[in-house]
Amino acid sequence: MSIPRLEDRRVIVCCGSGGVGKTTISAGIALALANNGARVVVVTIDPARRLASALGLEALGDEPRQVDIGPTGTTGELWALQLDAKATFDRLVRRHAPSPDAAQRILDNRIYEHLSGAVAGSQEYMAVERLNELTDDPRFEVIVLDTPPAQNALDFLDAPARITHFIEGKSLRMLLSPGAAAGHLGWKVLHAGSSTVLSILERVTGAQLLRDLSEFLAAFDGMYSGFSERAERVRALLHSPRAAFVVVSSADDEPVREAVMLVERLTQDGYPLGPAVMNRVRQRAECDPPPRDALIEAYADAGAGHPEDLADRTLAQLDDDDARARRDHDACARLARLLGDRAPLQVPDFADEPVEIAGLEHVADALAP
Amino acid sequence: MTSPALFDRRLIFVLGKGGVGKSVVSAALGTAWARAGQRVVIAEVANQHRLSDLFATRRVPRNTPTELAPRLYGYSVDVDKATEEYLASHIRVRPLVDLLVRSRAFHNFAAAAPGLPELVTLGKVWELAVAIEDGRPVWDKVIVDCPATGHGIALLQTAGNVSELAAQGPVREQAHRIEEVVKHPGATGIAIVARPEELPVSEAIDAVATLRADNFPVAATIMNGMTTRRFWAEDASALGRVGSDDPAIEEAVRAALRADHHARVEHEHLRELTVGTYTSPIVVPDLGPIVIGQSELSILADALDGTARAAHPAVRP
Repeated sequence: MSIPRLEDRRVIVCCGSGGVGKTTISAGIALALANNGARVVVVTIDPARRLASALGLEALGDEPRQVDIGPTGTTGELWALQLDAKATFDRLVRRHAPSPDAAQRILDNRIYEHLSGAVAGSQEYMAVERLNELTDDPRFEVIVLDTPPAQNALDFLDAPARITHFIEGKSLRMLLSPGAAAGHLGWKVLHAGSSTVLSILERVTGAQLLRDLSEFLAAFDGMYSGFSERAERVRALLHSPRAAFVVVSSADDEPVREAVMLVERLTQDGYPLGPAVMNRVRQRAECDPPPRDALIEAYADAGAGHPEDLADRTLAQLDDDDARARRDHDACARLARLLGDRAPLQVPDFADEPVEIAGLEHVADALAP
Repeated sequence: MTSPALFDRRLIFVLGKGGVGKSVVSAALGTAWARAGQRVVIAEVANQHRLSDLFATRRVPRNTPTELAPRLYGYSVDVDKATEEYLASHIRVRPLVDLLVRSRAFHNFAAAAPGLPELVTLGKVWELAVAIEDGRPVWDKVIVDCPATGHGIALLQTAGNVSELAAQGPVREQAHRIEEVVKHPGATGIAIVARPEELPVSEAIDAVATLRADNFPVAATIMNGMTTRRFWAEDASALGRVGSDDPAIEEAVRAALRADHHARVEHEHLRELTVGTYTSPIVVPDLGPIVIGQSELSILADALDGTARAAHPAVRP
């Protein structure tokens, strides 16, 4: 399945272990689809402004910006944005809080500051929220989503549920007002109202942290259902045939293993799989190495200082190149076998990293053979 | 050891972009120190399970130091269990602790509470670093194989964040104690790992700037996977003059020129890392398309030790 076959999908999610070139592949997929006539936006999430450099843009903001991809001869457009978790979260609060005062109370809360800022997990969650916003944006037919760097490449699928649980306060409200937890044996045993539980926690956290927490949760009152509705909406979209998950790998052992695990997990959880992509594949040379004597002669004719030495180093290089190319080829075959004989799309190892549109065009070509 | 700054610290955080080889570098650092006679523990903080692959041992069980090689131990931080221990040490009434840890509500809360998993993880690492037995430290070196950059920095910053959030109480006190150690340039050193590619290098430069601005002791940068340089300027000009119509020779010349180009690009990235971080990066060679095991770790440990530097053409001027 090549990438242009994915043009009827609303969302394409690129996942894979760190360092395999997910961002480049996301941009390449988006470009391939734009070249094919689609209006595409690619969302990157990484704090290191990776897509910005991949697209040759200096500052990629939270708002989609159109990328100049030259004349495509079609209606295709490429847009790009970098996820700003805090900006997305702030916008969310302003939009959905019952009143401007309530919104401000949340934005000023110290717990919120930390939750929406650096804390791990908020990025994953906001990626999903941003996806939600973009699905309502009529400018875009296809959304290509790069996934955040994570220990587990699929953390971002689980993060919404985790953070929604926290914000909805199901768990914490149980702690703060055990009445809400009726039916839960453990808390019934603890009986005596919130004071007991609170006092246990307070011993650890100090009273003020708990007070901030409960204020935070109270401020979100009335927004809970909105959070779960949106999480559910994205969940449904990502499980529908309108989504596709593209698993990206490189030829190293660890990424291949991770790719296989990802495919298993996605299949098991009912997410629609797109093609797998093997990035930076080296090709074997088309001919055998030249005889040493012939190479020495050619180097001597070219005026090399030490033609024999240079020839030996060249032959050693050819040997190394071949070992790498064979390893890459084996990795592709192994991945194909592990994926039930579905050959991954191969993106070659380019002499220069594809960090400009011209380079991305080569990636797009490889993805759309 | 090439980097005196790393050498004299007890607690080492190994940080870098996903895929740069943090686990391999952590294991190689551990190997270098252990064979120099130090007692070393490498802490995996998020279910990486890379150590058992690298040392071909059984999986490192959670929260128990496990010997990987003489004097070298692996440790895998289990956040759930560490949270439980943490609560137990503060609450002291065992039935109450049991009630908390058995409750799903609590686990939901603990998993998402801002900074809690990070604080508990950092607390565990801190415990290893300050552990004393018979009047001397249990570990000479505690190496932390951190999660990818963003999450790794969040891990380091968490103690400061929490001590800021909680105005008083044991959480604040402990977070403060942890922060003191983690930011102390006599105790802690952060090693930022990159590969000679554009994105890992720019991420490393950003990370160094962020950490320094936050007063974290950046002790070294490490350029992992530098290709052994095989061709030099004088070769390139001779290669450029080869005029042969034998396809095998043309291919050979192309391969040599490609390798030369690649080496130049890598050196440009090394220069960027040097200039962008005001450090002199430790260079670790690329070992080719092989599976890394103990003998490879020992070669990498040589590179980190500096013993192989002079002999290694990757760092020839």
